[in-house]
Amino acid sequence: MNNSKTVTIELEGRKIRVPEGLTVIEALWDTGHDVKRGVGCLSGLCGACTVAYLEKEGRKVKFGLGCHKVVEDGLNVIMLPYFPARLARYLLESMENPLMQLAEIYPELYTCNDCKACNICPEWINVAGVMKAAKDADYETATGHIMDCIMCGLCASRCPKGIAPQHVALFIQRALAKERAFPPNLQKRLDQLGSHQFTAEWDSIATMGDEELEVKCRRPEGA
Amino acid sequence: MYPDDMLESIENIAATRETRKQAEMEMLPEEAKAKLLSRFHPDYKESAFRNLRIGVNRGARTTHEIADLLEAFSDLDYSKIDLTPEYDTDLLVLGGGGAGVTAALFAESVGARVLLATKLRLGNSNTIMALGGMQASVDEHDSLLRHFCDTMAAGKQIGRRDLVKALVEDGPRVVKWLLDTGVDFDRDEAGNLLTKKGGGISAPRLISIGDHTGLNIMKVLKDEIGKRDRIEISEFTPAVELTTNESGECNGAILFDLGRKRHFAVRARAVILATGGSGRLHMQGFPTSNNFGATGDAIVLAYRAGAELEGVDSFQYHPTGVMFPEHMLGVLVTEAIRSLGAHLVNARGERFVNELETRDVCAAAIIRECENGNGVSTRFGKTGVWLDTPLVEEISGKGFLRNRFPSLYRQLMRVKIDISRRPLLVFPTLHYQNGGILIDEKGETTVRNLFVAGEAAGGIHGRNRIMGNALLDIFVFGRRSGLAASTKMCNEPGNLTLNHVYSYYDKLKSLRISSVARSPTLFPEFIVNKL
Repeated sequence: MNNSKTVTIELEGRKIRVPEGLTVIEALWDTGHDVKRGVGCLSGLCGACTVAYLEKEGRKVKFGLGCHKVVEDGLNVIMLPYFPARLARYLLESMENPLMQLAEIYPELYTCNDCKACNICPEWINVAGVMKAAKDADYETATGHIMDCIMCGLCASRCPKGIAPQHVALFIQRALAKERAFPPNLQKRLDQLGSHQFTAEWDSIATMGDEELEVKCRRPEGA
Repeated sequence: MYPDDMLESIENIAATRETRKQAEMEMLPEEAKAKLLSRFHPDYKESAFRNLRIGVNRGARTTHEIADLLEAFSDLDYSKIDLTPEYDTDLLVLGGGGAGVTAALFAESVGARVLLATKLRLGNSNTIMALGGMQASVDEHDSLLRHFCDTMAAGKQIGRRDLVKALVEDGPRVVKWLLDTGVDFDRDEAGNLLTKKGGGISAPRLISIGDHTGLNIMKVLKDEIGKRDRIEISEFTPAVELTTNESGECNGAILFDLGRKRHFAVRARAVILATGGSGRLHMQGFPTSNNFGATGDAIVLAYRAGAELEGVDSFQYHPTGVMFPEHMLGVLVTEAIRSLGAHLVNARGERFVNELETRDVCAAAIIRECENGNGVSTRFGKTGVWLDTPLVEEISGKGFLRNRFPSLYRQLMRVKIDISRRPLLVFPTLHYQNGGILIDEKGETTVRNLFVAGEAAGGIHGRNRIMGNALLDIFVFGRRSGLAASTKMCNEPGNLTLNHVYSYYDKLKSLRISSVARSPTLFPEFIVNKL
């Protein structure tokens, strides 16, 4: 372990010294844990490496991502790579007004009493706020902040009512998208494609020599 | 928090901010670009490459890291593997990222039974890390032809015309499919898809979902795939070999159950390889932005089965990977930050390249600065240049970075670095495999019944890919390969054999090639370099 500084942590229930500056995942690797289930993008986006930890002198268990949480002396940490959460089955394309059916699809949402236990999001999403807005049918507000949701499911692990906020929010996100008017610029381009009006251009490209094409591609202004 | 010596350097670059803001930075003329690339881009560093000694592409140039894998044996003891299929399905999709999931969804929609096997969790891929956006020509100031030209020009005219045409022409169609599936892209006031410009793109063409485009698309597709009855998902089961029948056509794969630590065979009428790229091979020692599982398995498996490769000597080094703090080494800083005006600045406080040049040019320019001693060193012995993020905050107003790039902002705030006040130390990070397994416009390889989609495929992006084309590529060729593979539903797949592997090994032995590598890699050997 050279001369580098070390810290003593409690890792998966085992007290052990590791070099300072490691993330929780790196500390697990360093101590011989063959972690596959709790590893993914290593960039904080896949939500696979959720951890629960207690800091030195800390009173409350906190939650975070193993690829970002850097170990410090006295840290007591475990991986929590998965937590059961109910995922409703629905076929969006066969639903006329999906948002009207939210209560059938995720009835548990309406048992939410705004206890805010779910506000432990590693992406700093105000999950309780999202659930409250969803319950109040203010769907635009509800989806306003969930673009950052990485579906790690930590919020669901804390809910005493068994709500899976990540799945509820995703349903609302999809339903809202379906309700939106089709974008005019895309429609226009699709119509053009449907009428095969680019055929001549493509034909001319197909017959071009490499050099001629190169010149054309460098100056696409005329295109 | 930055150590004192870095804080000093930060003060230097803050001092030149006003002057830099006033001055224009010209785009480089073609000749200068070519010269810069040939001197400093890793793709041109001859000592990092060699020619393959075996297989369809014998004599072709590739990196040592890939050649080592292609000239290697597997760890498998084939005599111990039971080739009686445990699964018999119409279509086997390998890979659970955007390309694989799209292929599975389309195949299922026309009636195929699909088994989708993936190394890690479903959706755990590079797709979710596509931040800035996806190209699709929908803007009125844009055209399909422009998109075609931009893609060809960025790829140094090496991309295959028919594949690039398929890519751009299907763009609007896959956007429609995504919208119908419940993906919501950002809109303007009139309800049009909001389009943005980016490096190497001649018209506004990037459509996005905030700064988490890939993540939000993947969330929806993953939700959707769970609701399809004919698709079975097998997680934590990477493929370790393809199988072929007596005629050499692909008819399944050997998968490895990571939990049970045992192999099992799957028979299928067609196979789609969508296992992504090879960033975790850390080509030439570069850090990478890639997912933990991106170890280039597709190339190895397909090559042994006889598929032709194309352009596996060309990689994309994204100019801005994090260099400090070290635990974030290689993590991507989106190109959008440069599009919004952040300068790249060397240790002397000078700007040295126009940030809107294509990725290869920006990366080469950063490497040049560092090699010429104009870089900033960290206490871990790494060198980088500054990405002047506070400048974006100055241009666009206080609180802008926090709102526009919340994830990046948070990640750095956790280590007490406020990117609205302090710049970020960056260096090119291995980002994308430009080449791969050669496909036709249906996604089929030179091996019958073997299809490839996504980053594993080659022939589309030439020698450099422009921003936003990878996300488009996975949906276009995911869809195409899924539909084309479904037409093989009446195939008689025949018996599973590993004949192709045996003959490949015989060749290796007769050429006296002995590589210490074992392939496929499956997982990178992790070296905690702070020890």
